[in-house]
Amino acid sequence: MLDLKGVARYFGGVRAVDGLELTVGDGEIVALIGPNGSGKSTTVNLIAGVFPLSAGAIYFRGEDIGGLPTHRRLQAGIARTFQNIRLFGQLTVWQNLWVAQNALEDRARRGFFARWLGGRARAREEIFQLLEFSALAHKQDELAANLAFGEQRRLELARALASKPKLLLLDEPAAGMNSEEIGQLRERILSLRQRGVTILLIEHVMELVMGVADRIAVLNFGQKIAEGAPAEIQADAAVRRAYLGGEA
Amino acid sequence: MDDFTLGLLTNVGLFSFLALSAYLLLLAGEMSFGQQAFFGVGAYAGGILTTLYGVPLPLAALAAMGLGALAAFLVGLPTLRLKGLYFAMATLAAAEIARLLFELLHFQREIEGELAGPDGTQGFRGIRWIFEQGIEAQEFLLLTYALLALVLAALLLVERSRLGVTLRSVGEDPELAAALGVNVNRFKLGVAASAGALAALGGVLFAHHNTFIEPRNFDIMLGVHSLAYALIGGLGTALGPLLGVALDIGVLEGSRIFGGARMIVFGGLVAVLLVLRPRGLLDEALVHCITSRALQRR
Repeated sequence: MLDLKGVARYFGGVRAVDGLELTVGDGEIVALIGPNGSGKSTTVNLIAGVFPLSAGAIYFRGEDIGGLPTHRRLQAGIARTFQNIRLFGQLTVWQNLWVAQNALEDRARRGFFARWLGGRARAREEIFQLLEFSALAHKQDELAANLAFGEQRRLELARALASKPKLLLLDEPAAGMNSEEIGQLRERILSLRQRGVTILLIEHVMELVMGVADRIAVLNFGQKIAEGAPAEIQADAAVRRAYLGGEA
Repeated sequence: MDDFTLGLLTNVGLFSFLALSAYLLLLAGEMSFGQQAFFGVGAYAGGILTTLYGVPLPLAALAAMGLGALAAFLVGLPTLRLKGLYFAMATLAAAEIARLLFELLHFQREIEGELAGPDGTQGFRGIRWIFEQGIEAQEFLLLTYALLALVLAALLLVERSRLGVTLRSVGEDPELAAALGVNVNRFKLGVAASAGALAALGGVLFAHHNTFIEPRNFDIMLGVHSLAYALIGGLGTALGPLLGVALDIGVLEGSRIFGGARMIVFGGLVAVLLVLRPRGLLDEALVHCITSRALQRR
């Protein structure tokens, strides 16, 4: 699904990401962990196309997407959430989902004829399903700015799903959540996997990472220092030194 | 209706097109100080077509709108790459260039024994199509408001559509809109072209109402006012800018008792209003509040 080959991004002299190799297979949940400033969010921004690569290449379903602008990457099937919640506060919950329906098939069915042949009804139906999935149906006409923190997080996830992504990039989705909310988020992520969505998860909250990830890659100073199943990572000495806070 | 009221009402209608033009770009998150240029392009193009070539006004208006859209597109191509204040400065510069070009525009022909057409800083006299057709001032007022109603209805429809919601999303956070699959650059160019066409339509009507235009008509003050219309009236609905025009012109006329100090009084009022309501009287929150109440009643 996703292949990063020697991906690098330099900010001036700072090597935020430095020669990263990472593969995410179809239907897999891969977690990217590491201390603050290790290059996790930069990696997400590189995959989403927020800024260009300094070196390396990114392949998505076999195609080099390194040069595509942001909106084309979304249309190709890569959606994301943000580390700091970003919503259209002056739009309603419903409208936030509506504007996000920009997958290629959505665009096709907004054609003049397709629109009247049920395209509109299907778009509405999909929004209803997303509202149900995110437990936001009762808030559909509320302005996004007026939602509680947990609801905003759920809306962000729902909005990312509105474009029917094949690959979902989650940038610290559990930040600021309590234990119960983290449990609900885990259920949502696992049910997304069942629907065939591939997920790259950036997260500090180990409770979530260990519960959902098939594989974990650990970053430190922009380089990958370990990769493996959750149990292997927990036992890895280098990781403990860099991050998990062990003495070993 | 006396001539003064008639003229005032027509002006409110005419400048509403310019207000809606500035409003469209404000929704897309861009503050343009240059919409008066497209108003001017429309005025000159429409005036030349009807006066020098005898083209009927409806056709001339369509052509002028096309030209206004093209001009706005060409100005938008480089300027929309800039952000915030830099975009404002670039559009202001473009509009001043346009005004200077109007000053250089000499294009006169003899029509029925008299020279007609733009004559640089001397202006462009004798745009008399509506008088030659025997259209009364009151009829012209009706025509202006009918066109305005048409434009307004179209805008209100668009605002409820997905296109309108996307427009607001691009204005609120363009990077986020791009991350959600919107081609922000192309979208803004489309908005700029539409806004240019709207301003040009207002300009055509302005030229034919006044019968005389000169480059000074399209100076920076007109651009500032067009922004003020939208910002005072509010960015929550297309009705906002219309309220803004009515208030702006109403307050200006009403404050004539202050004599020479009236622009100071006016400026103070605008400043106070924008501190209290930065997105105008009919802002998004108020409009949402009203529409959701109306929905609940149903």
